[in-house]
Amino acid sequence: MTSTVTMMRKEFLDLRRNRFLLVVLGFVLVAVVISVVVSASAFRVTLDEYDAYLAALQASGNTTVPPQPQLYPLQMLRGSIEYVEILGALFAIIMGYGAIAREKQRGTLDLIFSRPVGRYAFAAGKVAALAVAWLVAVAVIFGSVTAAVAVVGHAPLPGVDVDRILISALAAWVYLVAWSALAVGLASSTKRLSTALIIALVAWLTVVLIIPQIGDTMDPDNQVPGGLFKSLQIAKPDEQAVLANFAGFDAARNALEISSVTKHFERFSFAVLGIKDTFNQQPVATVVAATSANVIALGAASIAAVSFAVRTTTRTRLLRRTP
Amino acid sequence: MRALTSVARKELVSLGRERLPLVMLVVFVVMASLSGLIGWLTNTTVSSVWLKTVQAGLTRAPDPFANVSPLYYTRNSVIYLILIGALMAIVVGVTSALRDRKARAVDLVLSRPVSPRSYVMGKVTGIGLWLGAVLAFVAGITWGSVSVITQHALGVGDSARIGGFFLLAWVLLLEFAVLGLLAGVYSTRETTALLVPISLWSVVVFVLPQIGTAATPVSLLNPVPAVAVAGGGFDTLNNVLGPVSVTEQFKTASGLITANPDATGSLAASLLAVGLPLVVGLVVLASTRRERLREALRD
Repeated sequence: MTSTVTMMRKEFLDLRRNRFLLVVLGFVLVAVVISVVVSASAFRVTLDEYDAYLAALQASGNTTVPPQPQLYPLQMLRGSIEYVEILGALFAIIMGYGAIAREKQRGTLDLIFSRPVGRYAFAAGKVAALAVAWLVAVAVIFGSVTAAVAVVGHAPLPGVDVDRILISALAAWVYLVAWSALAVGLASSTKRLSTALIIALVAWLTVVLIIPQIGDTMDPDNQVPGGLFKSLQIAKPDEQAVLANFAGFDAARNALEISSVTKHFERFSFAVLGIKDTFNQQPVATVVAATSANVIALGAASIAAVSFAVRTTTRTRLLRRTP
Repeated sequence: MRALTSVARKELVSLGRERLPLVMLVVFVVMASLSGLIGWLTNTTVSSVWLKTVQAGLTRAPDPFANVSPLYYTRNSVIYLILIGALMAIVVGVTSALRDRKARAVDLVLSRPVSPRSYVMGKVTGIGLWLGAVLAFVAGITWGSVSVITQHALGVGDSARIGGFFLLAWVLLLEFAVLGLLAGVYSTRETTALLVPISLWSVVVFVLPQIGTAATPVSLLNPVPAVAVAGGGFDTLNNVLGPVSVTEQFKTASGLITANPDATGSLAASLLAVGLPLVVGLVVLASTRRERLREALRD
């Protein structure tokens, strides 16, 4: 236990000294905050358009008042969540990879393992330090976007909305720890560091970008600007009735999407924050129950990644000489 | 000239041996090849959905894909070029610069009658030839798959459009490779060399277009450029940031070249926006000093 804590403290020290990582995390922070500012500005444009339309109606003597656009503050977090799932995952890989690569490149492993370090202490210390580092980073990121929603979006947040943000922050933390742990495991288990980086980058490309992109492409509604069904002027119930004829295609598309942990994180976060319309303003318990499959998949992926990191980051593997 | 050719040849040999670029190349070629199939599958499904709605008397709108060009099936290639192709090019550029710095081969090369300019331009030439061969291969597969899907060989016009599209893709990828080379030459650490250009890539692909158009990051993975929200300063922001959103300009130019009906804008302006950063990158790279090239890595 003591050696785990020592390893954890050492990793913290390394992370704190690595100014470039701080810059990278600062970059993610700026991107997510910009995203909220852009969403707030876009909503203001919608509101201005509504006011102008209403004024034109009243000027023409029409007394009909169309429904005012509704501001759901948490929907402004859509871009921020997407940045976490894309850029956050990439930087999580770099952090996890760096935790092992640094030791290998500096040649400090021999020294560390000359001390009485427990079998899993090295791995547990590294993963725990990364998990705590991500906890701090996620707290800063989500704290900042919450402040941005309240200040820039002029949207007071009730307690339940803060709870929703906290739940999605927790999901983001689990997601990012999974990517860092995977990178730790890969950097430890491969003989060459470059191989670990190759596998991690290809996994990121496939899971974060390619699979969700193919899934989106296969969605018929995404194939026409503005949406296929809107362009065909079809009501929602009719749309569902038509799509029932394509259940096989939709099942294949869904199967592809759920093979990506990123999609599970996205679906859960979008549901909790009400970004997905069907879950908007629904009680948190109802949303969590409806998305339990996503929660289980995200949790299972994270546990699997951490287990992989702990099992492979051993003295035997790390001190193995490259041919 | 002989020095440049020698460096270019060495670069080609090294690229054939490197595993990271090769793995990314396989992913890129597979996805670019599959994009035609995915496009065809989705178009067929959309047309079937439209037919069902017409049969049910729910719409009188025409089939959205009734008169689209055969090249419409290739539209997803744009995204794979921006996502996988650009990252592959960055990795190729970074590994090319780091390979010689790590092995101290650059000291040896520059001890010969080779100027720093010939050295870096030789590397660019080698990478350019490698990327050209990769894209020519993908263009061949694209041409073949569209011909199979449409059940007739593409005509001269459509073939020329595919050629033009992949020529533009070559410019884009070479641009990112030069960015990778610059990062590899100017970084003091290996991790930084990889992270800086990838961060810049994410700024160009996601952040700049989002500020200019209010589109969300995932919606920017659409093959057609995002349309700016009218008003609220977005028009002005888009005017300023649009030209430097190189990947969005690439989408515009690609859409216009491949006759995508959803693509609008000026072909000349978008070609200029895609090509100019390559010229700037080459000028900066060519002016790299000998001491910088020989600087040791800290990691």
